[in-house]
Amino acid sequence: MSEHKTDVPYGTLDLLILKTLDTMGPMHGYRIARRIEQVAENLLQLNQGSIYPALIRLEEQGWIRTRWGISETSRKVKFYSLTRAGAKQLSVEVRNWERATALVAKFLEASGAEVKP
Amino acid sequence: MKPARSLGFVARRFAALFRKRRLDKELEGEIFAHMEMAEFDAIAAGLSPEEARRQANQRFGGIQQMKEEHRDQRSVRWMENLSRDLRYGMASLARDPGFAAITIGLLALGIGANTAMFSIVDAVMLKPLPFPEPERMVRVWESTPTGHNGTTTLTFLDWKRQSDIFEALSVENPTSAAVATGGDPARILGKQVSTDYFQVFGVKPQIGRTFAPGEDHPGAAPVVVLSHAFWQTQFAGDPGILNRNLMLDGEPHRIIGVLPAGSFDRDEARFWTPLIFAPDQMNRGQHWLNPIGRLRTGVSIQQARARMTALRASLNDVIFQKDWGFTVDPFAQLLVGDTLRRSIYLASGAVLMVLLIACANVANLALAKGATRRKEMALRTALGASRGRLIVQLLTESLVLCVLGGAAGVMLGALLLGVAVPLLGTSLPFTADLSMDLRVLWFAAAAVMAVLILAGLLPALQTSFGTLSNALNQSPRGSSGSNAAVRRTVVIAEVAASVVLICGAALLFKSLAKLQRVDLGVRIDHVITMSTDLPSAAYPSPASAARFYEAVVQRLKAVPGVEQASVSQGLPLQGVQWGEYLSLPGVKDFFLVRLKLVDPWYFGTLQIPLESGSGILDRDRAGAPPVVVINEEVARQLSNTFGIRNPIGRTVSIDVPGYGPIPESRTKLQVVGVIRSERTAALNAPPELVAYLPLAQAPRQDIKLVVRTQSEPASVMPGIREAMREIDPHLPLGDVMTMEQVKQQSILWARQPTWVLGAFAGVAALMAALGLYGVLAHAVTDQRREIGIRMALGARRGDVVSLTLRSALSMLLVGLAGGLAGAFALTRALKSLLYEVSTLDPAAIALACVLMTLVGLLAALIPASRAAGVDPMTVLREEG
Repeated sequence: MSEHKTDVPYGTLDLLILKTLDTMGPMHGYRIARRIEQVAENLLQLNQGSIYPALIRLEEQGWIRTRWGISETSRKVKFYSLTRAGAKQLSVEVRNWERATALVAKFLEASGAEVKP
Repeated sequence: MKPARSLGFVARRFAALFRKRRLDKELEGEIFAHMEMAEFDAIAAGLSPEEARRQANQRFGGIQQMKEEHRDQRSVRWMENLSRDLRYGMASLARDPGFAAITIGLLALGIGANTAMFSIVDAVMLKPLPFPEPERMVRVWESTPTGHNGTTTLTFLDWKRQSDIFEALSVENPTSAAVATGGDPARILGKQVSTDYFQVFGVKPQIGRTFAPGEDHPGAAPVVVLSHAFWQTQFAGDPGILNRNLMLDGEPHRIIGVLPAGSFDRDEARFWTPLIFAPDQMNRGQHWLNPIGRLRTGVSIQQARARMTALRASLNDVIFQKDWGFTVDPFAQLLVGDTLRRSIYLASGAVLMVLLIACANVANLALAKGATRRKEMALRTALGASRGRLIVQLLTESLVLCVLGGAAGVMLGALLLGVAVPLLGTSLPFTADLSMDLRVLWFAAAAVMAVLILAGLLPALQTSFGTLSNALNQSPRGSSGSNAAVRRTVVIAEVAASVVLICGAALLFKSLAKLQRVDLGVRIDHVITMSTDLPSAAYPSPASAARFYEAVVQRLKAVPGVEQASVSQGLPLQGVQWGEYLSLPGVKDFFLVRLKLVDPWYFGTLQIPLESGSGILDRDRAGAPPVVVINEEVARQLSNTFGIRNPIGRTVSIDVPGYGPIPESRTKLQVVGVIRSERTAALNAPPELVAYLPLAQAPRQDIKLVVRTQSEPASVMPGIREAMREIDPHLPLGDVMTMEQVKQQSILWARQPTWVLGAFAGVAALMAALGLYGVLAHAVTDQRREIGIRMALGARRGDVVSLTLRSALSMLLVGLAGGLAGAFALTRALKSLLYEVSTLDPAAIALACVLMTLVGLLAALIPASRAAGVDPMTVLREEG
């Protein structure tokens, strides 16, 4: 089964994190990673660790913010949540993504038609 | 909103750099919690603890690798970026050395002028006085209904007795003495001071001691304290000079101490001797002392004032001026006169405006350069560079420029200061320590940062703005829309600021020209003057002094090239030292007149015309009936106060000054003549009431020689010196100045701010012209294609030139309008510096506008002629 798993498409991890925080509200890092894996239903090869640099990057951009909270194992951990700018950025990235996939889809369709004799 | 966010991004990056350690620790905690939760979940799913840990590790990916990535994300890359940006910035400057040179030059000019100005402001107004506990230093005055006045000897001694208020209270009296220095005797300035003078300043001698109590009592052995500079130049810093004698006016004075280097070296005085009050000075009539004091620790100015008010009340019976009081003011406050303060404010404002204009120019240059780099920026954005990253890069490039400009500016500032210090010289208080110290460097650093923000941020935001498609599409052709508009606006603002400065300068120059043309009442061409002081030892009696005057005039007249010579106390324009009350015998009323003591040839030498009666004659000598000549102002006042229509022949009473120990005495004088008023005081002050007494009847030791020459005065000076040596070889001549120099010195207060503002206005106008040139040249480059098409369609060269000039004119006119509005608002600040010129003088303001327009149009001619030189065929072909 593992041979069917794909890597996270380049540049989409940010989008996945933003979307996750948007639907689920504030979460800590481990929950975000698990949530992405669950939604992907094992189709995705995610290094859970790669989440943290992404979270820091997003925080630096001002798209998410952190608050200290207590984990299920009673540790002090950071809970991440979406900022207003982040919500706006999410909609921009969703639109970009849709446009890109639509473009690729159209391209594939067109090329397919041409191949036909 | 966009720029704000980008700035926030930059700020967070900055913050991250300093939070590095804490963030690392936080991240470690997060990873630990993550692994714990992952293991926990795996155990809950039924795995053994070992398997759970293995799975958690595997799913997390390499921990170390992740940390690296994270760190890279945060700080290391930031530093790398900075150094890359710096290198990139230097490289891009090296690629465009013209841009770099102009920018650095503009910034150096702006920052240099500001740095120099700041060190003046700092030294004169901001820094505390260079003495211990300067807040305890005070000046004590008599307060008159209109201001302040000095006090009398007896009143000063009353003040001095308030020793629970004053730790020290001292007066100073300027003096001078002949000191033999090798060849000719030289006149050295000094001060006679109370013995506790140096306690007031808290200054301890470098070697020896300062004055001891009692050394200012009559009959005390003469002692002298030297300045450090004098000790160095005259005695080569020889420590063995203590207790040796210094001959002052031929009298031995024992050297008891030398002051430390510093403030007192900037004082005009080179030596200090105790001030011993003469018997005729022990009165309450002669207001000649300006005491300075040091309050006792814990005594406030208010307490001191209250005490002085109480003292004044107790002395009411003996004080003549019933409406005068006593008052105490901080010393620091009074060192800087109103005129100097206003001049400094004015120059500071002007120099700040120059810096703003320089910033505007630099910003415009960067914008123009940015316009050509838009493609590069857009491409980098498309390749994944964030906007913040680009702004940081552009700002780093500006930082390189600003730091280089700042460094050049500091050097230029030091240079300017080196030039300014000797020019300003005596206009600044002697306590002002002008130097490029650490405070000045801090100021320069702050100026660099301000310039970076002002001149770097706008272009960075503008340039980093925009998308790839726009940039790629538009760049080769039409002008870059909003960018050009921004740059035009900046130029308009520059023109407006320059117009304000030029208006100010034009007003000041007009006022200065009026001052120069004021009728002095004397002919000053071909007149040379010098001062001397007759030592009491060689000239003990009034008769000996009178004989000297006569000998001098006789001998000087025989010098080839000398037309006329005279001796007087005081010169025109330098103020008259003596003020006395004039009254009529038996009449109660009186008024104040200035007393000038002149010989029979004074009026003739300076060509002061006689209105009626006679001047001072050769027969008006000691023993002959005392006479007085008055000026028109006194004649008018006589008529107003006493109803005297024809003053000739009338008798008036005036206190005539004494000679040496001989006290002044009230004397009845016969008015023998009325002369036309000469300007005795400042040119912008109304003529004073002056009474002239024959020098032979009231001889003085401190005198001036006034000589009218046939040719250039300087060429006659050797002959004059030779003649004086023949009369008295020990008598030094000081202050050798032509009357023209005396006049220029008397209007120094007006000349200095005028030339300073004029220079700044000139620089500002040139910078604005440069900005205008830049925008137009850029526009012509941008519009070559358009111009080419126009010409291909039949436009003539003249049309193309007028197109560019019209564009220049439109910017100039808007700038002029803005500048005039600014000038109307700001020239009011000049009011006190203007003489008979309104702050809205139409001629001066019109001149300013014409000048700015001319300079602007001249700057526009170069791009205009370039536009006319466009060859339509070439342009159209190259753009395809």
